Amino acid sequence: ATLWMWCVEIVEGCRLPVLRKNQENEDEWPLAEILSVKDTLGRKLYYVHYVDFNKRLDEWVTPDRLDIKKLQFPKKEAKTPTKNGLPGSRPSSPDRDVVREATLDTVTCKYMTLRICFVICSLNSTRHQDSQDSSDGIPSAPRMTGSLVSDRSHDDIVTRMKNIDCIELGRHRLKPWYFSPYPQELTSLPVLYLCEFCLKYLKSLKCLQRHLTKCNLRHPPGNEIYRKGTISFFEIDGRKNKTYSQNLCLLAKCFLDHKTLYYDTDPFLFYVMTEYDSKGFHIVGYFSKEKESTEDYNVACILTLPPYQRRGYGKLLIEFSYELSKVEGKTGTPEKPLSDLGLLSYRSYWSQTILEILMELKSDNGERPQITINEISEITSVKKEDVISTLQYLNLINYYKGQYILTLSEDIVEGHERAMQKRHLRIDPKCLHFTPKDWSKRGKW
Amino acid sequence: MSKLSFRARALDAAKPLPIYRNGDIPDLNDCVSINRAVPQMPTGMEKEEELEHHLQRAICAQQVFREKKESMVIPVPEAEGNINYYDRLYKGDFRQPKQLIHIQPFGLDSEQPDYDMDSEDETLLNRLNRKMELKPLQFEIMVDRLEKASANQLVTLQEAKLLLNEDDYLLKSVYDYWVRKRKNCRGPSLIPQVKQEKRDGSTNNDAYVAFRRRTEKMQTRKNRKNDEASYEKMLKLRREFSRTVTILEMIKKREKSKRELLHLTLEVVEKRYQLGDFSGDVLSEVSVPLAEKTVYPAPICLPNGNRHKTENKIKSHKSVPKHHPHNVTVKVEPHFDFVRPHKKYTRRPKLETLRPPSRPERPHTVNNADIKQYDFHSSGEEDYLLSPSSEPDEENDPDGAFVFRRRVGCSYLAPLSEQSSSSPVGLAGTNAMWQRNALTALSVPRRCVGVARRRLGRGGRLLLDRSSADLDRALRHLDPGAFCPFVAPSDAFPLNTDTHMDTCTNAHDPAPFRTHPQRSLAQLLTDIQACRWRYFQTRSLHQNQKEESGKKALQEDDRRGGGPIVTSSSRNAVLGGVQCSSSMTGCSLIVENKLVFRNTASLDTVSKTLDSASAQFAASAVVSTSNKESKSHSPAVNGILPNSGSRQTKFSSSGSSSARLSGASSKPLPAVPQSLPHGHGPLSSVSAVSPAHTHHNSARPCAPSPPALKLATIASSLDRVPKVTPASAIDSIGRDKHEPERLALNGIAETTVAMEVT
Repeated sequence: ATLWMWCVEIVEGCRLPVLRKNQENEDEWPLAEILSVKDTLGRKLYYVHYVDFNKRLDEWVTPDRLDIKKLQFPKKEAKTPTKNGLPGSRPSSPDRDVVREATLDTVTCKYMTLRICFVICSLNSTRHQDSQDSSDGIPSAPRMTGSLVSDRSHDDIVTRMKNIDCIELGRHRLKPWYFSPYPQELTSLPVLYLCEFCLKYLKSLKCLQRHLTKCNLRHPPGNEIYRKGTISFFEIDGRKNKTYSQNLCLLAKCFLDHKTLYYDTDPFLFYVMTEYDSKGFHIVGYFSKEKESTEDYNVACILTLPPYQRRGYGKLLIEFSYELSKVEGKTGTPEKPLSDLGLLSYRSYWSQTILEILMELKSDNGERPQITINEISEITSVKKEDVISTLQYLNLINYYKGQYILTLSEDIVEGHERAMQKRHLRIDPKCLHFTPKDWSKRGKW
Repeated sequence: MSKLSFRARALDAAKPLPIYRNGDIPDLNDCVSINRAVPQMPTGMEKEEELEHHLQRAICAQQVFREKKESMVIPVPEAEGNINYYDRLYKGDFRQPKQLIHIQPFGLDSEQPDYDMDSEDETLLNRLNRKMELKPLQFEIMVDRLEKASANQLVTLQEAKLLLNEDDYLLKSVYDYWVRKRKNCRGPSLIPQVKQEKRDGSTNNDAYVAFRRRTEKMQTRKNRKNDEASYEKMLKLRREFSRTVTILEMIKKREKSKRELLHLTLEVVEKRYQLGDFSGDVLSEVSVPLAEKTVYPAPICLPNGNRHKTENKIKSHKSVPKHHPHNVTVKVEPHFDFVRPHKKYTRRPKLETLRPPSRPERPHTVNNADIKQYDFHSSGEEDYLLSPSSEPDEENDPDGAFVFRRRVGCSYLAPLSEQSSSSPVGLAGTNAMWQRNALTALSVPRRCVGVARRRLGRGGRLLLDRSSADLDRALRHLDPGAFCPFVAPSDAFPLNTDTHMDTCTNAHDPAPFRTHPQRSLAQLLTDIQACRWRYFQTRSLHQNQKEESGKKALQEDDRRGGGPIVTSSSRNAVLGGVQCSSSMTGCSLIVENKLVFRNTASLDTVSKTLDSASAQFAASAVVSTSNKESKSHSPAVNGILPNSGSRQTKFSSSGSSSARLSGASSKPLPAVPQSLPHGHGPLSSVSAVSPAHTHHNSARPCAPSPPALKLATIASSLDRVPKVTPASAIDSIGRDKHEPERLALNGIAETTVAMEVT
C-alpha cells in the first residue's frame, strides 16, 4: 500500500476505508471521505470524514491508515469540496454515489484524465451554485433570530473542518468537535488556553499565567440565580456582557455543529451552570435562550462540556431550562435542529419527566387515572408537540375501544425506575431565584 | 374490534387519556399497530444526521433496553486527563459567599490591559530589567495602548511618546520591540481578537467573522417580507417631512423679515422724499447716533446726493463696501484682510453711517447697512455658512474689521518710519514728494507717468506710486503725446489674486482739484453724456466691439488728457485681484500680467459734475451691465475700467470670473465686506458707491429692487449687477483709504461697458 501511495494522488473528495478504533478499541475500516490534504514536514496528512459518522469524529490521519486499494475517486457529478472554501462544495452525504472503484491498474493510467474531469466537475458545480444563488436574489445572511444556522454553512469547507486542535480549560483538556471562529492566528497552536472563569483565549501558558494575575473572576460574570449544593446557575446578559458571552459562544461552538456565531449575542441570555470548589465556580455547561422568542423556544443552544458529559449534567441543564419556563408560565421547546446528543438528551428528559407524572397519577374514586396532553404540557412546560412525540417514541399511545389511551408497559416502568435511580442530580425549584423580565417592553434586547 | 373498521381520530390534546398499566388490557397487542395512526412527530434533527450510525445504534439500544448501555453511547473525541499544573496555575482559595452572587452592572470592566505578556516578552523584560525596572503589568499596559492605538497602521514613535508617559529609553526599547514583534505577528493584532465584520458586506461569508451586528429591524409578522422595507421607508419619509417643515418655517420667517425690511426701507425713503432729503443729510444726521454702534463705520463720499441714491440702489447686492474710518491714512497696511462676514448686517439692519468730520463738504454718506439691507439672499443660507467665521468681536475690538491679520505665506516688513509718520493732508509738499519720488516714465506704452515712486509690492509686483502735484502739468509736456495718468504695465507679473497692495503714497495734495477747475461742470457732464452716447451699447455687443469701445474710451481719455490733470490724477483700480490704488495725489500703478489699466473714465469729472442725470447714468451703468458684459469686462468690476477684451480674458479667469462664474467663488465674496472709503484730499469730492457687488451669475433674478431705485428713476432691470469684486481686490479695498476713487470709477468704468440704459 505504501508503494502505491506515491503513485496515486489522493485528492479531496476521494473515498476510501480508513482505519479507526471503535469504542471497544477494535480496529474498524469505515468508509471515509478525504476533505483536505496537508503536507507537514514532508509527510502528508489527510483530513477524513467517516461517512455515516458524525463530523465530530473527523480527524487528520496518516497515510498508513488509508486503505488505498479501495480508493474511490469523486463521482463526476458530485459537488466536490474545493480548496478555496467556496460554498460550491457540498459535504458528502451518506447516500452519495460512487462512480468507480479505482483498481490498481486503472489508477495509474487514468489518473490524469480523472484529475481533469475532477477539475471540470468542480467548475461546473461552482457555476451551478452561482446560478442558484442568483435565483435566490439576496445573498443569504442567516436569519436574525435564534442561534442555530441553516445548513448552508455546511457547504463551507472551512467550517466543515475542525480548526482547533486542543483547548485547555481549567484542569481539563478538550478536543474540539467542530469548527469555531477563534482568531485565525490561534488555530495553528497545539493548545489553545482558556481562562477557566472569563473564558478568554490565550496563545500560551505564559500568557494564561499573566492573565490570571489580572483576572479576578472566580465565577461567570453574571447573577447567580440558582444554587443548590455545589451547583449554581448564573444568568448572563448577552448585551451587557459581550466579552464573556462571545467567549462562551466560541467555546460552545467547538462542540455544537449547528450553532452559528454569525450575529452578536445581544438578544440572548446565557445560563451557565457551574460546580463550585475552592478554586471557584467552574463552568460545567450552559444554555442560551432568546430574550424574546417568537417560536416558543426556551433554549437556543445547550451544551455540557465534554469532561462533564454523561453524568447527568445535561439533563440538569434541560430541567433548569424548563424550570425557568415554568416560572415564566410558558411552555417551551429547544431550538431546532437538535444534534444527535441533543435529541437523545431531550428524549430522555421528556420521557422521564412524562413518565414521572404518569406514574404518580393516582386514581380517584377507583376510576382509572387520566390526563390530557395539555395538562402534561402545562405541568412540565414541555411543549405539546414534544409531549406527543415523546409519548409516541415511548409507544405509550394506543387506540383502544374508540379512544386513545396511554399504556404503561412493564418494561417501560422498570426502565424508568432504573433510570430515575441513577438520576440524582435534580433541580430544586425552591433554590431558584429568578424573576422573568419582559424584554418586549425594553424595546431592545 | 376489527382492525379494518378502524379509522383513527386525530389525537386531541385536550381530551383526557386514560392510563392503563400493563396487564390491564389483555388484548393490548391488537392495539400496537394502531399506534401508527398517530402521525409521527419529527425528531427535530437534520435528516442526514439522523441517519448517522452511532445515533441509530443508540436509539435502537434505548428502544430495546429502555436505558442506555455503556457501549451504545455516541462516541466523542476523547479529551486528555487532568492538568497537573492546575493547582499552581489557579491559585488561592475562593470562599463561596453565603448569598447568591450578584454582580454590579458595569463593574466588570477592569482597567487591566488586555494584552498578556508571553515568554518572548519576558525575555525582553529580563533584559531591560538589568538597566531599569519594568514590571510586567507596566509592559502590558504599554503594549496594550500601542496595540489599541494602531487601528489601521502602527503608531509612530512620536505618537507613542504621547501615548505612553514613559522614560525615553524605556519607551524606545519597548516601542522598537513592539514594532518588530508586530511585524512578525501573523494576526492583525498582538491581542488576538475575533475577526470583525466589515460593513461593506465583504465578510458576509467569512467563516472567521463572528458576532456581526444585527441591523436594527422591526419585528414584523412572519411571511410578510415587505413589511420591514415599508417600515423603513416610512421612517425615512417621516424624517424628510419633518425636515421639510423645518425648512419651510425658516423660509417663512426669512421672507417675513425681508418684507418688513422692505417696507421699512420704503418708508424711510418716502419720508426722506417728503423731507426733501435728496442729499442724504437728514438721513445721515438721524443715523449718526446709530453709527456709534458701528465700530467701523466708513463714510462714503458721493459726488452728490443723487449719485448716492443711485448707488444706493445699486447696492441691492450682496457685497457691501466698508468705509474706512480714517480720513487720511498714510501708513502701510500691507496685508489687511478685509473680511467681514455680512452676517453682521442682518443683525444690524439700521444704518451705520459715519461722517468724517473733516469732510463736512461731503454731501452724503452711505453706510453698510444701508446697502446691505437689500442684500436678500433668496438663494439660501449658504452664503452665511460660507462667510468667514472669524468675525471679530467688533464691540470690543477697536480695530474691528481692520484688525491686522497675518496671511499665510506673507512676510511682513516693518513700515517705513517716513511713511508712518506721514504728514497730514496738505502738508506734504513738493519737497517731500521729491524726496521719495522721481520722474517716471513707462516704456510700454511709452508714457510719462509723472512723479512717481517705484516699489515692490507683495507678490513681487511692481507698484508705481504716482505723486500728483502741480508739476504734473509741466511733466506732461515731457512726453505730451504719451502723457496720460493711466498706468501702463511694462512688465508681466504673475497674477496673484491673493495679494493686496496698498498705496502708500503720502503726498496728499488736494491742490490738483482746486487748482484746476478748468472744466465747468456742464462741460464735464457733456463729456459724460458723450461717453454715454459712445459707450452705451447694447448688451449683445461683441467682445471686439467692447474692446473697441474700451479703446475709444481710452482715446477719449487721451484726448482729454490736455484737460485738467485732475481728472485723471486719481485712479484706483482693482483688477483681477490686483489693486491699483492711488492716493489723491498719486496713482499707484499696478503692473500686472500685461494688464494695462489705461483707461478709466475720468472719475473726477464724474464725481464733480454728476448731476442727477449723470448719476442715473452711472448707476445704471453699474447696475445694468449684463452678466455677459461684466464677464468680458470683469476688470471693470470694482470701478476699474476693463481693458481691451483680449486682455480681459486673463482677468476674468483670475479675478472677477472667479467671483462670478461659480457659485463657489462667488460665495466667499459676500463675506468680504467692502468698505466705502472716504475720499482723501482732492478726491474727497469724489465719492463712490460701494460697489463691490458680488455678482451672482444671474443667480438672483428675484433680487428685489431696492426702493431707492425709484428715486433714481432707474429702470427695474437691476436684477443683475455686474459688479464683481475679486476677492483679493476686496481684501485690499477694504483697508484702502482710497476707495472712493475706485468706487467712483465704478460708475465711470461701467460706461464703457455695453449696458442697458433706461
